[in-house]
Amino acid sequence: MFTYSLLAGLLFGLYFSLIGLGLNLVFGVMRIVNLAHGDFLMLGAFLAFWLFTLFALNPVPAIAIAFLAFAIVGLPLYYLLVPRLLRAKDPEMLSFILFFGLSQVIEAVTTIAFGTSERSIPGDQLGHAVAVVAGFFAGHKVDTGPVELLGQTFPASWVASGVASGCAVLLVYLYLYRTRLGYLTRAVMDNREEAIATGINVHRVSAVAFGIGLGLAAAAGVFAPFMLGSITPAMGAEVTVTSFAVIVIGSLGNPLGTVLGGIVYGISYVFMQSYYSSWANLLPYVLLIAILLVRPSGLLGRRVRRA
Amino acid sequence: MPRIVRHVLLILLPVVGAFAILPSVYGNQLLLFNFMIFMTLAQGLNIIYGFTGYLPFGYVGFFGAGAYGFSLMVIHLHAPPLIALMVGGSAAVALAVLLTPLFRLSGAYFSIANLAAALAVFQVVSNPNLESVTKGPYGISLSGVFDPALAYGTALAVLAATIGLVIYLRNSHFGMALKAIREDPISASMAGINVVRERVIAWLLSALVAGLAGGVFAWYVSVFYPETVFSVEFTIFAIVFALFGGNATVTGPILGVVILYGIYNAVGISTPQYFQLLYGALIMGLVMFLPNGLASLLQRWGIDVP
Amino acid sequence: MTRLAILAALLASLTTAAVRAADAPAEIKLGTLYASSGRFASISMPVHDGLKLWIDQKNADGGVYVKAFNKKIPLKLIAYDDQSNTATAATLYNQLITQDKVDVLIADSGSVLTSIAVPIARDHKMLLIDQTGTGANFFTPDNPYIALMADPVSSVWPKPLADFLTHDGPGLGIKRVAMLYATNDFTGTQANTVRKLIKESNSGVEIVFDEGVPTETSNYTVLLNNIRASNPDAVLHLGYASNDIAFLRNVQDSGIKFKFLFCIYPGVETELLEKNLGRKALDYVFTYVTSSGMAYKNEFGMSLKEYKDAWQKKYADSKVEFGFNSIAGYTTGLVLEKALSVATSLDQLELRKAIFSLSGNLKTLDGTFELDANGGQIGEFTPVGQFVPGEGDHLKLLTLWPHDLASGKPVYPRP
Repeated sequence: MFTYSLLAGLLFGLYFSLIGLGLNLVFGVMRIVNLAHGDFLMLGAFLAFWLFTLFALNPVPAIAIAFLAFAIVGLPLYYLLVPRLLRAKDPEMLSFILFFGLSQVIEAVTTIAFGTSERSIPGDQLGHAVAVVAGFFAGHKVDTGPVELLGQTFPASWVASGVASGCAVLLVYLYLYRTRLGYLTRAVMDNREEAIATGINVHRVSAVAFGIGLGLAAAAGVFAPFMLGSITPAMGAEVTVTSFAVIVIGSLGNPLGTVLGGIVYGISYVFMQSYYSSWANLLPYVLLIAILLVRPSGLLGRRVRRA
Repeated sequence: MPRIVRHVLLILLPVVGAFAILPSVYGNQLLLFNFMIFMTLAQGLNIIYGFTGYLPFGYVGFFGAGAYGFSLMVIHLHAPPLIALMVGGSAAVALAVLLTPLFRLSGAYFSIANLAAALAVFQVVSNPNLESVTKGPYGISLSGVFDPALAYGTALAVLAATIGLVIYLRNSHFGMALKAIREDPISASMAGINVVRERVIAWLLSALVAGLAGGVFAWYVSVFYPETVFSVEFTIFAIVFALFGGNATVTGPILGVVILYGIYNAVGISTPQYFQLLYGALIMGLVMFLPNGLASLLQRWGIDVP
Repeated sequence: MTRLAILAALLASLTTAAVRAADAPAEIKLGTLYASSGRFASISMPVHDGLKLWIDQKNADGGVYVKAFNKKIPLKLIAYDDQSNTATAATLYNQLITQDKVDVLIADSGSVLTSIAVPIARDHKMLLIDQTGTGANFFTPDNPYIALMADPVSSVWPKPLADFLTHDGPGLGIKRVAMLYATNDFTGTQANTVRKLIKESNSGVEIVFDEGVPTETSNYTVLLNNIRASNPDAVLHLGYASNDIAFLRNVQDSGIKFKFLFCIYPGVETELLEKNLGRKALDYVFTYVTSSGMAYKNEFGMSLKEYKDAWQKKYADSKVEFGFNSIAGYTTGLVLEKALSVATSLDQLELRKAIFSLSGNLKTLDGTFELDANGGQIGEFTPVGQFVPGEGDHLKLLTLWPHDLASGKPVYPRP
């Protein structure tokens, strides 16, 4: 049971790293608290659901579609909401409330459109994809269905999401450290005023970061039916709080920090579920408060927030 | 006559009077009771957000603490309702004391941490392992002290006290000190205001208000589940009502509750989603165009809003 | 002279009858709530639709016969949507009583949404027609304002399951039982009853895994591994329909095969589960055999087949599945119909007396209607059964316990 918990925690944690990645980027670049993050994840999940139900489209291409769709949505949304916000006296708090309002709007519209009943996608969908990829590497046909790792069996979807999260982290890292736009993004993350002074088009950089953030949320959403269970329009709120816990644990502005934060969270959560299952849901909140009070800069911390 | 007396006559008495008389003409007492609860909560939130600028996103945690404090006293110690109510209020204050370290955090962090704290309390209370203490997820049933009329009257008293408190804040040095802290804590402390102490007092008062409201709520409904009294809806409504009406004023939250909650009950109860949509859009619109609420609009036109 | 007297007497009785008929309300107002969304929607909508079917049927016939006024009076349904939210439900129940002034108050489906109504009904001295709320603490001697229509009260309901495990279990090789339940009034009480009965049975069967999880749980992957680690001979999952769906789906995904798996809703809402999981997921699953799977002999109202046909016709393109809960709503209607035909007035306690007078005598498609002294339903009980693959692609439900109703032998361990 220990090995299972460790591995399951790792996979589960990687998924939360993926969720936190987008939020971290947005907060790091714009100092904006996107309380609607979980709702964008929910939208990505529903997109995957409808693509599957209406077009029998496998979730794997849906990941790319979700990412692109919401990245594109993010750009105009940024220009609509943020510049005005940044001119106000207390942008951080107001952004908090503003995006909270946005989250309510998204939740309401989705509920009106789709109803509140739970939806899900059959688990073997991702199983097919995993089997194809594994078969390619193994050289022979691999059975769809649960995957065996170190003597423990896991649903194929968990392994798939772990792999996808790893890829996403890699891509974000490459973006930030190998592209010019990423270079500018890191500058803005470091010090916004100086970046403006150096002539960087901060708004453009931020808009792109915002779009990527939303896109990552939606892409993570595609895995939600498998990792979190059935999806409903109201699932966003809890995901948002948990993803905050993840990025705060890992420290802001640092994508590697989010990975660490996700893994720490995932392993703790799964261990709690294995040994003290009724208290497992308490964990994210306690972790969040503990980290904020004890080491607010997070485990890899650089940035400190003091009142 | 002094401003404070004028405010009391203009605001406190009519509101209290209205709620005292209405049950005899309008049969749905539960609805009136809910109005009073939301008005109390909005004023309580007003104390901490309007006056100090900290937004407790987990405000409902105090409400739930008050409800459970009351219920546990009744269930385990068979306490009379009014004593249990005091204990409920104290439970909320105790929780607030526990959470004062959160003030080290700035704005958004504070709010999220506060939300996490409220959710944590909810998880603890609703845990099946604690069933023998809190009845866990199976809910509370207080049939022994069921007395809607007396509970209604007590709620009215709590509302009156809360409005009175906010009127006092609006007209006192303490209130001005809080507003100074909200504007600029550093200058305020340089002017001699004990920033930490004043803020903590406001925080505790705000929690007390929510705790008393929670206790009275538990008394009135007598059957509830943990998710009812820890529902984030209470926080949302309180924030929207306070924001809409205007912070740091007495009439702001009252206006907000009467208008928005009134519309909700007239229209939204059968179509809650459309209402959620409206609320969300309203919040966004308020933040972008009218961050200080309706009262600020009136103030802009030169009307001094109490 | 006598002719005159007779004429006078006739006139007098005619006028009193006319006056009584004139006293009669134009319609009988039935107030109820339903949950169109949220976690109780899957049990609420079928009940509501069943009730509506009964109402429409009666109204097409001119109304329901009310003995108090000696005529048929049409029914009017006033129903609000509580969206599975208990606070909203409380406000709405209050609205029905104080503003709409309904003649009969009917609770929403399920223990949680019924529990809120119990003190409200009691405070306003209205009889609460409890459709499917089986929480044992609703029925206390000091509260006469409640009566349970359709489900057996949860302190009695799981008895067939516990009996099957403790009597037939050891013979099949079942010694270790794992029980996972959702923590709410309904399944929590079921778990308590099962636990108690197994402990008291001294049959050698013991519970080796006993966990309560929140009703919102939708991912059981890790829990399944925990259960497997306890090496059980039999696994019981007690949750609502959405819990069963998520659980069975996770079982499929993780590739675990339990020797014996019991869930509540495959029997209660078979169509709903089949639609969400596919037929294969229910193979060899043990469950309750409810009136939707077993045709009781009905002496009043439609038979199972007639009702099912009427349902299919009326709700042909509805998304609501036919199942036990749809029968529960219809049963509520039948009980009300019979009660109104014997009650001497519409006074709430008089209605209660009328309903209690039916106890033990009313046989419908749901079984025998029988109440205990506090209003809890003890007549309609559910045997234990198992789904086995049948001809073609269909599932067959075998009844296994009690033995006198059995239609087959259990398949254990599952192949």
